[in-house]
Amino acid sequence: MRLLSGQRAWLLQRITAVYLGVYSVLMLGYFIFFAPADHARWVAFVGHPLVGLLTALGVVALLLHAWIGLRDVIMDYVHPFGIRLTVLILSATGLLILGLWAFAILFKAWLS
Amino acid sequence: MEFSIYRFNPETDTLPKMQPFTLPDDQVEPGMMLLDALLLLKEQDDSLGFRRSCQHGVCGSDGMNINGTNGLACVTPLEELDTPVTLRPFPGMPVVRDLIVDMTNFWDQYRAAEPWLVNDSPEPEVERKQDPADRDELDGLYECILCGCCSAACPSYWWNPDKFLGPAALLQAARFIKDTRDEATEHRLDRLDDAWKLYRCHTIMNCTQVCPKGLNPAKAISDIRRTMLKRSL
Repeated sequence: MRLLSGQRAWLLQRITAVYLGVYSVLMLGYFIFFAPADHARWVAFVGHPLVGLLTALGVVALLLHAWIGLRDVIMDYVHPFGIRLTVLILSATGLLILGLWAFAILFKAWLS
Repeated sequence: MEFSIYRFNPETDTLPKMQPFTLPDDQVEPGMMLLDALLLLKEQDDSLGFRRSCQHGVCGSDGMNINGTNGLACVTPLEELDTPVTLRPFPGMPVVRDLIVDMTNFWDQYRAAEPWLVNDSPEPEVERKQDPADRDELDGLYECILCGCCSAACPSYWWNPDKFLGPAALLQAARFIKDTRDEATEHRLDRLDDAWKLYRCHTIMNCTQVCPKGLNPAKAISDIRRTMLKRSL
């Protein structure tokens, strides 16, 4: 069970934080200085292979980062094993749904 | 000088209460430590329970929560304290009586850090020698007196005292990981690499703030993390 615990989780949380920091600044810069005029241009921007790839990586980083953070909070405060397991599973399911949703959007943008 | 002291006797009380005490001004002397005052208050009410031994900040017996911050009564100058001086037992630890807490779990976690030198190499004829520079690495780690102020101030230890080793035990873990004479470094790092023992630390740094010996458990924990990282790269 060392896949995502202990040092690896701690390290991943930091690496994803760095990626998300850089990605957020880049996206913020784009939306401030080159804001897309309409939905079609936004779709074209996100559908660009490089942007799509960076965003997909951003989604994965965000999900991993959020999972480790949520898991930490739950481990700290939710102690009864059954409740903890339930809350952990619910959180993981919620994050997975968000991830699939984000990938569906990216895929649609890439197709068009 | 006014005091408000946590009182609880499990044999007679169902709930703890705060009891006011007054130390007459003619008994307050310059340079007096909090422990001196406690000993005088105990003359007023000899049922007041607290631990103390060496009275000089070496044995680590008289750790308690002083005006909301953990510290040793024997090295806390009375004149620096706001009145009424509010004294409570260590937060998060089971109360035995008054200011005396049950530190069994604290010692269990200390033991779990395996705070002894592991060296299976043949013993030299004289002592195991260490380079002075390597010895310097242990400064800031070996001085811990195990008073418990840090672990009892750590929210992560409050929430998971059975699984998280706590700053005091982790400082000792760091002390033996850093010791060049120790041969169990890999074993020590492996043992700490799970979600609970070390990584419940969220660098809150209450430990460093309260340490009466001026040590820095938060840095020791971060050093363990760095050693672990270097090993895995």
